[in-house]
Amino acid sequence: MMFEILAVGLIISAVLALFLDEVIYSVAALAGTFFFTAFIYVENGALYAAIFQIAVGVGTLAILFLSGEMLGDKPKMKTSPKRTGALVGIGAVLSLPAIFLSVSGSTGTTSGLDFGDALWNVRGLDVVLQALVILTMALGIAIVLNEKKKKGGQ
Amino acid sequence: MDFVILSLVMLAIGIYGLLTNRQLLKVFISVELIATAATLNFVMLASSAGVGLGQAFLILAFSTDTAVSGVILALLVIVSKKYGTSDMDKIIQMLQEKGASEDEVQ
Repeated sequence: MMFEILAVGLIISAVLALFLDEVIYSVAALAGTFFFTAFIYVENGALYAAIFQIAVGVGTLAILFLSGEMLGDKPKMKTSPKRTGALVGIGAVLSLPAIFLSVSGSTGTTSGLDFGDALWNVRGLDVVLQALVILTMALGIAIVLNEKKKKGGQ
Repeated sequence: MDFVILSLVMLAIGIYGLLTNRQLLKVFISVELIATAATLNFVMLASSAGVGLGQAFLILAFSTDTAVSGVILALLVIVSKKYGTSDMDKIIQMLQEKGASEDEVQ
């Protein structure tokens, strides 16, 4: 029962995030999408995934709130409660397939590999290398921007 | 395995938003929804199979997702600063007008 409630909430918040006129309200709905996703992860025992989802989601939302406030065009008219209600209804209808339909299939065998093993013994090196690549990219961009700023100042 | 249908619906909503929205920030939100649908399917499949590797791969997925988000936001800021709007229709109109005036000069 819990999965169905979370699925309906997830789809409704996704629809609201896309089709509300004000960008700030869209971002707030996107926050709902992230949190519902995290709750679905918790419900299915993927606790670490839920923590990462919330951590990354909060960062994305902070950036989106700022950029939405700075860059978003003002909507011509405010979203009426009637339209919001219609969007919630559409979301509820769209979530029906997730509640009533199911894909059958074997869930595989349990490998006995827990999260710590998977992270540090199997893929730990990849994670560290990827972090290094992203850090190098960020440093490179920062250096280029700094040089450009210096040239602009001269 | 209801989550497969759920992530499929999420993916469909994200792709529909990507194709129909004209606001650049909404396009970014659509991309986020598509990424969330993909990770949801991935994590739940691994979780239902009892494999911790799925959650470990999620970190990689989030890393790339965040990098992509950063690039999209940077492009969004550049376009918004250059054209003064984040509406794709207005930007296309400006580009067409600019192209037409350049043709007249030539």
